[in-house]
Amino acid sequence: MLPYIARRLLYAIPTLIGVTFVIFISVRLIPGDPAVAIAGERATPQLIAQVRQELGLDQPLLIQYGRFMVKLVQGDLGTSLRTRLPVAPEVWRRLKQTLLLATVSLVLASAVGMFLGIVSATRPYSVWDNAGMVVALLGVSTPVFWLGLMLILLFSVELPKALGLNQPIFPPTGSGTWKHVVMPAITLAAYSTGIIARMTRSSMLDVVAQDYIRTARAKGLSERVITYRHALRNALVPVITVQGLQFGTLLGGAVLTESVFAWPGLGRYLVDAIFQRDYPVVQAVILVIAIGFIIINLVVDLLYALVDPRIRYG
Amino acid sequence: MAGKGRLLVLGMALAALVFGAACAQPALAQTLTIVQGTDIESLDPHVVTSSPSYAVLEHIFETLFELSPQGEIIYKLATGFEVGPDGRTYIIKLREGVRFADGTPFNAEAVKINLQRIQNPATRAAYANLISPITEINVLDEYTVELKSKEPFGPIQVHLAHPGMSMISPAAIARGNDYVARNPIGTGPFELVEWRQGEQVALRRRDGYWGEPAKLDQIVFRVIVDDGARLLELEAGTADVAIRIPPTEWQRIDADPNMKVDRTTGLRTIYMYFNVTKPPFNDVRVRRAFNYAVNNEAIVTALLSGAGRPSDAPMAPAVFGYSRQTPYTYNPSLARKMLEEAGFDFNRTYVIYHPTGRYNQDALIAAAVQQSLRAIGVQTELRTMEWTTYLDFVRRPQAENEVEIAMLGWGVATMDADYALVEMFHSKQHPPAGFNLGFYSNPAVDAALDRGRFNADPQVRLEAYAEAQRLIWEDAPWIFLHSELQLTGLRENVHGFVVHPTERYKAHTAEKH
Repeated sequence: MLPYIARRLLYAIPTLIGVTFVIFISVRLIPGDPAVAIAGERATPQLIAQVRQELGLDQPLLIQYGRFMVKLVQGDLGTSLRTRLPVAPEVWRRLKQTLLLATVSLVLASAVGMFLGIVSATRPYSVWDNAGMVVALLGVSTPVFWLGLMLILLFSVELPKALGLNQPIFPPTGSGTWKHVVMPAITLAAYSTGIIARMTRSSMLDVVAQDYIRTARAKGLSERVITYRHALRNALVPVITVQGLQFGTLLGGAVLTESVFAWPGLGRYLVDAIFQRDYPVVQAVILVIAIGFIIINLVVDLLYALVDPRIRYG
Repeated sequence: MAGKGRLLVLGMALAALVFGAACAQPALAQTLTIVQGTDIESLDPHVVTSSPSYAVLEHIFETLFELSPQGEIIYKLATGFEVGPDGRTYIIKLREGVRFADGTPFNAEAVKINLQRIQNPATRAAYANLISPITEINVLDEYTVELKSKEPFGPIQVHLAHPGMSMISPAAIARGNDYVARNPIGTGPFELVEWRQGEQVALRRRDGYWGEPAKLDQIVFRVIVDDGARLLELEAGTADVAIRIPPTEWQRIDADPNMKVDRTTGLRTIYMYFNVTKPPFNDVRVRRAFNYAVNNEAIVTALLSGAGRPSDAPMAPAVFGYSRQTPYTYNPSLARKMLEEAGFDFNRTYVIYHPTGRYNQDALIAAAVQQSLRAIGVQTELRTMEWTTYLDFVRRPQAENEVEIAMLGWGVATMDADYALVEMFHSKQHPPAGFNLGFYSNPAVDAALDRGRFNADPQVRLEAYAEAQRLIWEDAPWIFLHSELQLTGLRENVHGFVVHPTERYKAHTAEKH
């Protein structure tokens, strides 16, 4: 197992180099000049030229890329063009917030989603099944900014008013305490819950039609043991795949939720940086997200082996 | 049994939640929480470019002069101002006994260091051009500084009042730009506690401030991008002030006994400019006809819920030098007739470029203009772009410039006509140099604008700007739309909070009771 992990991590290096190159070129292909974005809409052409030179943006792309890579291998993610502050501590601060939110919402989505999926799959085409799948569909199709605002309206404005409290039950936006996590996590989990529920259901339905489930029943095992030990465990592989993908998406894709709840995560940081053409920030954040994906993929592959003993890596 | 147990736990958790919320410590009585949609760009007041940044940094830094919300000059770090007999020497007396937050004394040398830093291209100061006419900065004595320009420089005092001319501690400047970017050290009533990027800036009252100390202990500026969430913070009472509330909501908020809405005139004028070098828009009749075709009264009433003012000059009334013109009152039949007389081609589709999300309801306003034009048989197509791309696109030099009509806004940070008109209409300001994006050119306007700039006599300046505005209004290089009103939501218990027409605001005198 360990040599396998080492090999996978080694393979990650060329992938990451490729990623840096693609990001580096593509952010520079977006129309719009970072020097203009920095110097302001009223800047004179002289000032813009000055900024461009100072930032090294007047150099050939390959030289710029070379400089970027030399700094990168020294662990230097560069300095934000906009704030003149180093990028690395800011990325780290936001990565922690993003991981917190992504983890809580994935745990929530997995718990609710798998529960709904199991309920639906064990009673296919029943009222329970339909109800569960309606909930899943709602989760997938509710726009997050709407759900987020409704939660704030309910828990921070209307409910406290109705209960006569002079403080919101959950603070509307921000971060810092566990109460701040609740509403963004629910908002973010809604979509993943739907996906996980549907995947659990269809995967379970496949499995319960298998011969070994019939055998298990024939052995006289209880429904509970059949469902959780035999059916669910075998149905887990595609569910884990979906969870991994969802987690990866949450790393950079929670922009709307972050905007509504003013959550200081990576997604918002990335989008702002793109609007500002803050190249070093864009590069750093995408790089971190790419590393995140590589690690998640590895973890997912290892989890496969854990739930399905037939899968072995060597 | 297990089910009941679970229910009990759930119930207890809920109870704890509600109880916990009810007993949570009330925040410090005199912390003012302001929610705004945009983060500051940097902590260095010389390099930031946007009003949200200045709004925050003005609590830390001060300028020699300041503009009151009415546009009067307030002496801040300066106590005297005199123009020499040659009309191009300016003697500025400085306030004595002022110290920066790090203990460095504020004096003539500090002013010189700051102005030189702004003029130094390596600083990349965004508003260096405001003081580009200044050619000499001399220290006469500890508290007197002398500035010289090549020609008389009319708006010098208001230019020095721009927050981009803030005074930073010379000791901080000596340690380099990176140091200044992290350590904002000014003479103002507040000092920085912490800036968490994209999240919040916290300030606390500074002991040893030279003026009346602030009543607040702390100000927290929180960044909430989403308009709806920002408003809900105010409604929940977790924010005291919400900047830029949606125009569609202000009446409801104002009607709530716990909240109030401040409506302060803005200095930002929204317009659509024509590329006047391109047919058919090189014909003044066509440009005037478009002005008659657009119902800007209806735009303000319906799309902005009254939070705007239809333009009757190329700038807002609060700007020094404003001169009211006869509005192009909505008259579609006249517009149609004028176009027919001008031989306008009704079979072509014209393109209107506009930003989305930059100005209040901008995309909807563009659509309203499109509709009005369709009503008189003019077909237009709307195209939008992300802001930075848009700026790049509209600022191309004439040969590569594709724009026929495009929407923009112009805020007049100095509250002076020079700033409002020169970059918009002077023929030396064609892109890429300036912001006269429609390549408008009228020698008589140029002459009037120059007269206003290179003259220190306010009466002469007023007359010059009145003439310029009259000519511009007749030439109609824009579809004159409206000036924006600033909508600020406040909790009822907030007093003394000043919303400034320049889209900034001051909490120096604010308190909660």
